[in-house]
Amino acid sequence: MSQHNRLAQGGRIDRNQPLSFTWNGKQYQGYQGDTLASAMLANGIKVVGRSFKYSRARGIFGHGAEEANALMQLGVGKETIPNPRATQIELFDGLTASATNGWPNADFDLMEWVGKIGGKMMPPGFYYKTFMWPEKMWMTYEKFIRKAAGYGKASLEADPDTYDKMNRHCDVMIVGAGPAGLAAALEAGRTGKRVILADEQNEFGGSLLASGQTINDQPAVEWAEAAAAELAAMENVICLPRTTVFGYYDHNFLGALERRTDHQGMTAQSGTRQRIHRIRAHQVVLATGAIERPLVFANNDLPGVMLSGSVATYVNRYGVVPGNRCVVMTTNDSGYQTALDIVAAGRTVVAIVDVRHNPEGRLVDAAREAGITVKPGHAIIEAKGNKQVTDAMVAPIDIEGDKVTGQPMSMSCDLIAVAGGWSPVVHLSCHTGSRPQWNDEVAAFVPGPTLQQQHLAGAIDGEYSTAGALTAGAQMGAKAAASEVHNQYDCGDESICPAQAMYLVPHTKPVSRAPKQFVDFQNDVTAAGIELANREGFESIEHVKRYTAMGFGTDQGKTGNINGMAITAKNLGKTIAETGTTIFRPAYTPVTFGAIGGRDIGELLDPARHTAMHSWHLDNGALFENVGQWKRPWYYPKAGESMQQTLNRECMAVRRSVGMVDASTLGKIDIQGKDAREFLNRVYTNAFSKLAPGKCRYGLMLKEDGMVFDDGVTACLGDNHFLMTTTTGGAAGVMSWLEMWLQTEWPELEVYLTSVTDHWATCSFSGPNARKVLEKLCDDVDLSAEAFKFMDWREGTVAGIKARIFRISFTGELAYEVNVPANQGLHMWQQIMAAGEEFDITPYGTETMHVLRAEKGYIIVGQDTDGSLTPQDCGMHWVVGKNKEFSFLGKRSFTRPDTSRDDRKHLVGLKPTDPTVVIPEGSQIVADPTQPIPMDMLGHVTSSYWSECLGHGIALGTVKAGHHKTGDTVYFPLADGRVLAAEICSPVFYDPKGERHHD
Amino acid sequence: MLHIYCPYCEEMREEEEFSYSGEAHIARPLDPESLTDAEWGDYVFFRTNPRGLHHEMWNHAVGCRRYFNVTRNTHTYEIYETYKMGEQPTVTGGKS
Amino acid sequence: MTSLKTPLHHITAPAHVTNANVIMREDPFRGHLNLRGNPQDEAFTRAVAKVLGVALPTQPNSSAEQGTTRIYWLCPNEWLLLVAADTQAQVEADLRDALAGQHVAVTDQSSGQTLVNLSGPQVDDLMMKSTVYDCHPSNLGIGKVVQTTFAKTGAIIHKCADGSFDLVIRRSFSDYFFLWLADASQEYGLRVT
Repeated sequence: MSQHNRLAQGGRIDRNQPLSFTWNGKQYQGYQGDTLASAMLANGIKVVGRSFKYSRARGIFGHGAEEANALMQLGVGKETIPNPRATQIELFDGLTASATNGWPNADFDLMEWVGKIGGKMMPPGFYYKTFMWPEKMWMTYEKFIRKAAGYGKASLEADPDTYDKMNRHCDVMIVGAGPAGLAAALEAGRTGKRVILADEQNEFGGSLLASGQTINDQPAVEWAEAAAAELAAMENVICLPRTTVFGYYDHNFLGALERRTDHQGMTAQSGTRQRIHRIRAHQVVLATGAIERPLVFANNDLPGVMLSGSVATYVNRYGVVPGNRCVVMTTNDSGYQTALDIVAAGRTVVAIVDVRHNPEGRLVDAAREAGITVKPGHAIIEAKGNKQVTDAMVAPIDIEGDKVTGQPMSMSCDLIAVAGGWSPVVHLSCHTGSRPQWNDEVAAFVPGPTLQQQHLAGAIDGEYSTAGALTAGAQMGAKAAASEVHNQYDCGDESICPAQAMYLVPHTKPVSRAPKQFVDFQNDVTAAGIELANREGFESIEHVKRYTAMGFGTDQGKTGNINGMAITAKNLGKTIAETGTTIFRPAYTPVTFGAIGGRDIGELLDPARHTAMHSWHLDNGALFENVGQWKRPWYYPKAGESMQQTLNRECMAVRRSVGMVDASTLGKIDIQGKDAREFLNRVYTNAFSKLAPGKCRYGLMLKEDGMVFDDGVTACLGDNHFLMTTTTGGAAGVMSWLEMWLQTEWPELEVYLTSVTDHWATCSFSGPNARKVLEKLCDDVDLSAEAFKFMDWREGTVAGIKARIFRISFTGELAYEVNVPANQGLHMWQQIMAAGEEFDITPYGTETMHVLRAEKGYIIVGQDTDGSLTPQDCGMHWVVGKNKEFSFLGKRSFTRPDTSRDDRKHLVGLKPTDPTVVIPEGSQIVADPTQPIPMDMLGHVTSSYWSECLGHGIALGTVKAGHHKTGDTVYFPLADGRVLAAEICSPVFYDPKGERHHD
Repeated sequence: MLHIYCPYCEEMREEEEFSYSGEAHIARPLDPESLTDAEWGDYVFFRTNPRGLHHEMWNHAVGCRRYFNVTRNTHTYEIYETYKMGEQPTVTGGKS
Repeated sequence: MTSLKTPLHHITAPAHVTNANVIMREDPFRGHLNLRGNPQDEAFTRAVAKVLGVALPTQPNSSAEQGTTRIYWLCPNEWLLLVAADTQAQVEADLRDALAGQHVAVTDQSSGQTLVNLSGPQVDDLMMKSTVYDCHPSNLGIGKVVQTTFAKTGAIIHKCADGSFDLVIRRSFSDYFFLWLADASQEYGLRVT
């Protein structure tokens, strides 16, 4: 098919570089410099999709971000991108796109008939009102509705492209590189300040790229090119074309999406496809321009009805005339310029239909001189056609624009260009919470007051003339850079005749009876729908929005909102200012999830922390468990072993000989200062006043509510020097908790805290042969049970390395923790493994550690506790100091009525009645399994394992008043219908007298 | 994204470096044991949640690890001042 | 000493990089000592200066350097001392001697972190990808040192006289750090020296 709508010359396309593309399976040709939309229009493609709710045929309507209809499914397979606007897709060779909806296809769509037949019966809320009953059927209805309606589909395959983010900082951020933005950047740039200029289009210039005006006697396009080149040459200016500033956040923080390779093909050949710039700016100049408003008349959604400025852009910038016979409808002078451009392109303008009764002046005269029929005081009240415009029904209207005053006449045409005035792009300004304000002078909402360091330049502020925009840009650019204006601008005569506001074009029939008059094309919101919403009592504009869906989705009300608000205002007898606007939210245009994810995906999603011995664990077949961000060995399966077999082997090795676990991940805090003891007394439940150098003590930490928060062993290194260990997952939290008390409440305490978690590597080995292993490696410490007791620590030389040896145990066996600087951690681990070889020393992971400690009834904070257990609830009265002078953190809460109740949930041991059973962790505990649902819950199982050394399952759990129920049988109704039983017992299943670790 | 002046690092830093630590100027009672349950409960559990001016404690967690105070508008997110631990705010009440 | 393994000992350079615009070099086994004390106390600052041969920097975000000793300001009462490899124990002992009786803390962190230098023609771009801190020369001048984010972890970043960056990173995050670095510098080319 030829590009029959393409002009022989003109525009910023390269006719020597033809590009082929496929749309809906058919091949077409366009040129370098085209957007997909301009190439489609050049080829005469009219229907580009189906509407959201009524499945009406829709065509290309705008030329940029305001496009509401031409949403594409771009590409196929894993490369596909759902819903980009054809007007924002730069054409490349081999581009493939299809309509996002329409079944069986966009051109012939069955749902349209549903829409036509049911049209009158599909008011706002139709789906919810209709298909909600019976309720259970909604899921069924929804499947069909979703298939028929809605837009594009995301790929289910992995995206082959790379996306990333950059943090940027600048003095002046300028959003939009039209005349105002360029002028602002030139002023700010010459000061040497750090400037960023971003524009969503492929080249800077904005409206100037489609303008026939002159700037200081230079053609506007040439001026724009020169300005862009000048800025590109400034080292302090970062130019970001193809970059949409999609969000404006607090304290002058902006998000911008740069499409780096989208214009080259479906995937980036190399490098980053899209990049989010996270920009912190001292000053922001918003030069985002304005979007033309459509006019709301009957069937105004027919393909062939387009925004007037967009038609002019296609003609001037892309060398495409979207039709041969055009009727222009306008409320202001812009329509005249479009008509003149169409005539200059050699096509016919049937008439300019101007709602103003007495238009006059420069452009009106020019149109008349060009022989164009002008119909003042008229309006297009209805478009006719099937899948594309064939006629415009033009009728005289009264001076207020409220009523049709005569017989409509039919004008044959294939294009209707509508110019309903301009709406400043206030979206970004709104993102930070600033409400737009109605400005009567320009009949538009302009940005309202803001707390941001924000300046407005050009059409966003209602300044629609080119010279005005340039001048405002220069002023704001200079102001933002704290400088004086340097450049002056003259664009010749830009005088205009005042515009007339018109938000709803009257019809011969009332709104409710007239053919559909669309307000929001993307969400299929009509004037009648808004009227109904208002009649049903939705008066706040925010409620109207939610009831009708106006301004939802990717469109964000760019073209429809003002008309919709004005119609609401009129229905309610209010002014537009009184009705106000809804708030536009980020993102201005959609941002791909690829870009949002950036590089924080896969292995980089969350940092994995490794110990110094990680490579050994890898080499020795460990499977890993995530504990916080740490990767801890979970267990070390040998070939052919099941997980349980591995655990049994690892557990028995510790119980019978010796096993070793990497305990480097425990948090370690070095505490120095003369008040260190006092500090420990305050933050732990037990006393540290008398802990002598060379000794260790277990401590329990509470929050002020009296609930267990962390635990660990603290060693006294010297009179004023301690080493505290914390749980692996709680380390950072404990550190900032302790710092908070020191910094905010007890600055008088002479204590300094330093995290040494990463500095020390910890090899923890336990079992009856642990001492024998250590004896082989260490000869400068008396390791005898009498000299080096349980809960002692010694400094010594282990395998030739200066080490701290702690005799502490989490397994219930004789155990040593050898701590060395992590640079020597791997070496130490290897030496201990080698020394232990004759004892079959067995590396074990966190799972075996959990079994061993559960056999001893040792809690794991965060597994057995959940922030709702006191030490007493845990049966740990022994660790609560009774005679401490200072009311330690959490102590006062013990006597609160709720905390001192006798029937709180208590942590108990649970011994399954059937010894072969392992109760699932998380199982609910009840007293009577025959009780009808809902049963009375007593608590739940927090830890549960098979104990190989005891030969039966063991569990810990919380049970209401459990400490008083020892010997009772409780039950565990499982999801699969089984009911397990267990006896409440002491949580210490193994070596209850603690003889083994004291040996 | 807030931009916060750390009174210890003496420069503006990005929000990512900080963590929020609740209402500022909540002093721990000097003698908890002498308090009624209601008084203690008030200290432990109850915090103001104003719309508008609020004195908050923040921690420069990824920076100098110091706690400090921020007078912030919870509605507009405007930060009026930041000040060191132990200092008193200069902006109080009235603003919304 | 063969028993020593720096956090990044196992890192190998990405293969086939012909045009490296980012260069990473680990400065392994430096002594890292954390020092706490009151800078208003002259007895403290004098004693420290005497041991280290250079005065403690007390301006926020500043550093001081003398021979192989470098001092980073971390907060108003905290500094990181970077000393020559294998001297940390001696320096720690000397400091403890000189500061005896004072409210101070000296803590060895030499194994807990490592010093990495990032340089190359596109190191500034890499830094923009990696940290929220503004590393532009107008904000991070030569000698300035800040603690801030690096990807999803933290780092101490010091701008060196030659325009490169010295980073102190934590051992447990070093694998993640390198994974990030290799990924973020892919488009620039990374060389490990």
